[in-house]
Amino acid sequence: MTGNWGLMLSGLAAKELKVRYKRSLLGFTWFLLKPLFQTAVFAVVFTRIIRFGGSLRHYALFLFTGLLVWNFFSSSISAATTSLLDNVRLIRSIRFPRAALPASSVAANAVHLMLSLLVVEALLLAYGHYPPVSVVLLIPALALLLAMTTGLSLMVSVWNVYYRDVSLLLEVLLLAWFYASPVIYPLGQGMLPPSIEAALRFNPVSGFLEAVQSLLYFGRTPPTWSWISMVCWSAVLLAGGLAVFRRSEPAVVKEL
Amino acid sequence: MRSAPGSIVFEDVSLDYRIFHDRTVTLMDTLLNLFGRRTRTERLRALDGASFEVSPGESVALVGPNGAGKSTTLKLLAGIFEPSEGRVSVDGRVASLLDLGVGFHPELTGAENLYLNGALLGLDRASMRDLIPGIAEFAELERFLDTPVKYYSSGMFMRLGFSMATACDPDILLVDEVLAVGDASFQKKCYDRIYGFKGTGRTIVFVSHDAEAVLRLCERAVWLDRGRVLKDGPAAEVLSAYLSDASSRHVPAGVSPREWGTREVEFVRVMLLDGSDAPASTFRPGAPITVRADLRTRFPSGVDGLVFGFSICRPDGEQIVGVNNLELNQPLISFRDTARVDLKISLDALEPGSYLLGLALTDPVAGKDYHWQDWFYPILLLGERMEPPVRLREAFWTVRSSSS
Repeated sequence: MTGNWGLMLSGLAAKELKVRYKRSLLGFTWFLLKPLFQTAVFAVVFTRIIRFGGSLRHYALFLFTGLLVWNFFSSSISAATTSLLDNVRLIRSIRFPRAALPASSVAANAVHLMLSLLVVEALLLAYGHYPPVSVVLLIPALALLLAMTTGLSLMVSVWNVYYRDVSLLLEVLLLAWFYASPVIYPLGQGMLPPSIEAALRFNPVSGFLEAVQSLLYFGRTPPTWSWISMVCWSAVLLAGGLAVFRRSEPAVVKEL
Repeated sequence: MRSAPGSIVFEDVSLDYRIFHDRTVTLMDTLLNLFGRRTRTERLRALDGASFEVSPGESVALVGPNGAGKSTTLKLLAGIFEPSEGRVSVDGRVASLLDLGVGFHPELTGAENLYLNGALLGLDRASMRDLIPGIAEFAELERFLDTPVKYYSSGMFMRLGFSMATACDPDILLVDEVLAVGDASFQKKCYDRIYGFKGTGRTIVFVSHDAEAVLRLCERAVWLDRGRVLKDGPAAEVLSAYLSDASSRHVPAGVSPREWGTREVEFVRVMLLDGSDAPASTFRPGAPITVRADLRTRFPSGVDGLVFGFSICRPDGEQIVGVNNLELNQPLISFRDTARVDLKISLDALEPGSYLLGLALTDPVAGKDYHWQDWFYPILLLGERMEPPVRLREAFWTVRSSSS
């Protein structure tokens, strides 16, 4: 019995979404409200207080676009970290592929990402940011993003079983990672010193942010470096995640 | 090797756990380890080269003290653990009643939980839709399927878990003492369903401390101790060997045997005998228990007026019977050097099961406790299946009034 992956993932992801929005007044709209609030805060900070984003047209839309991608990434990872620990009894009483647990955290957040991308696209269109024909490239870009996030989720979920420090460390790490990612500032606009910008391109999420912002906000085809970054990081992290998970699964089940 | 659905092969299986003496292992410990300080982790061998086979349609009980590896064996059979060494092969669809209803999320309704559980077990929505009415009916929860399970009582929760676990028509059923839950009538229903499985030739592997249940359900038992198979054979034989074994005195969770006293008078050897004077630890209804005790005293002048008491306790240590020869107006015991005393106990086992027999030698006049053996000898009292279940005692017809 290996189970049916589609069935399991959709079942677990649906559970995660249902549980998250049970008893909340605004329910599913929270998937939009959170990035909207974040956008408002950052927009005020970086245009009124620090006067940094003013040079970008509709800076708030730029922020919003990037935040969706970043939120998907960081929420998936955070949720996946504790996904094995949260389901100890389940893991220890029935047999199913445990990778479905971290993977379903990613799947649940992917649902949010897709829905909110539709909303942001509507806003972008309303403000005159028209996508290029190459917007279809969004599909492979998002597929790669899913792959990379899943790979990383598999890794952290296992590590967190061994060391509970991982989830705590990750909280801090994600904060630093956020500022090291082109969410609140764009790359390639001459806003950062070239040496720093070159270094930031090695950030695994930079390529994805660059690609999504290029296609949706700037209305241009993503630069080559972003594709290289996306393909490499997603291949490395997905393969790494699967390998780590497969190797540790039998031991992790006993360790829990 | 060819195998049919329902067969199990457990070949030379070992499984190690890592145990931590300080349960919280942090990144810091590992970093410190790199510099030579060892965290005190230890390997615990839960199974140590255990082998047995089960043919399709067999009902096998796993018996043994706590920590013998019974639950680990079930988890290996369920595919939850992988063996560290050896081979486990299980053919056919397995339903595991290891922990009921654990996949249920409190915020989701009964039906939502069933669909999710089904998905994890590989059942799609359509097949679940067909199964749900039967599951709900068996669990007697038809009216509550749209209620979040957090509002369920623990009994309802377990009922839903049990019905779900057994709904998918398994070839092999793994049962781990979960049936001690729920009200008596549902427990009976669960047992009936399990007997039903047995009747249709399904394989059952059963772990229980309830010897009575083991004997009713299984023909065969495998006695595990410290990860090894000590004995494998007919259930009654294995059970009584297990129960009379000294090292398995810690029968169920709860009390452990203890011995105390001045030992000025002491038990040298104690044997439990059945009605036909054969050593036994399993007693049929109505059969007397004979405790044959060899006593010795260190008093040069011997003992005069020794009180010999016994107790029968539940596995959790609760005393049910506790008397001695003084209280029952029987002769006190006097001897020099050594003596052999037969204590014959006749019991009505109203609640069959396993109990712990304790013995004591005292001298209440001198206020001395010579030798106490509390919770020392495990005994299994078998019950009688009452047939017919209701017996007519008397009936009277009386005409109170009549008009002529």
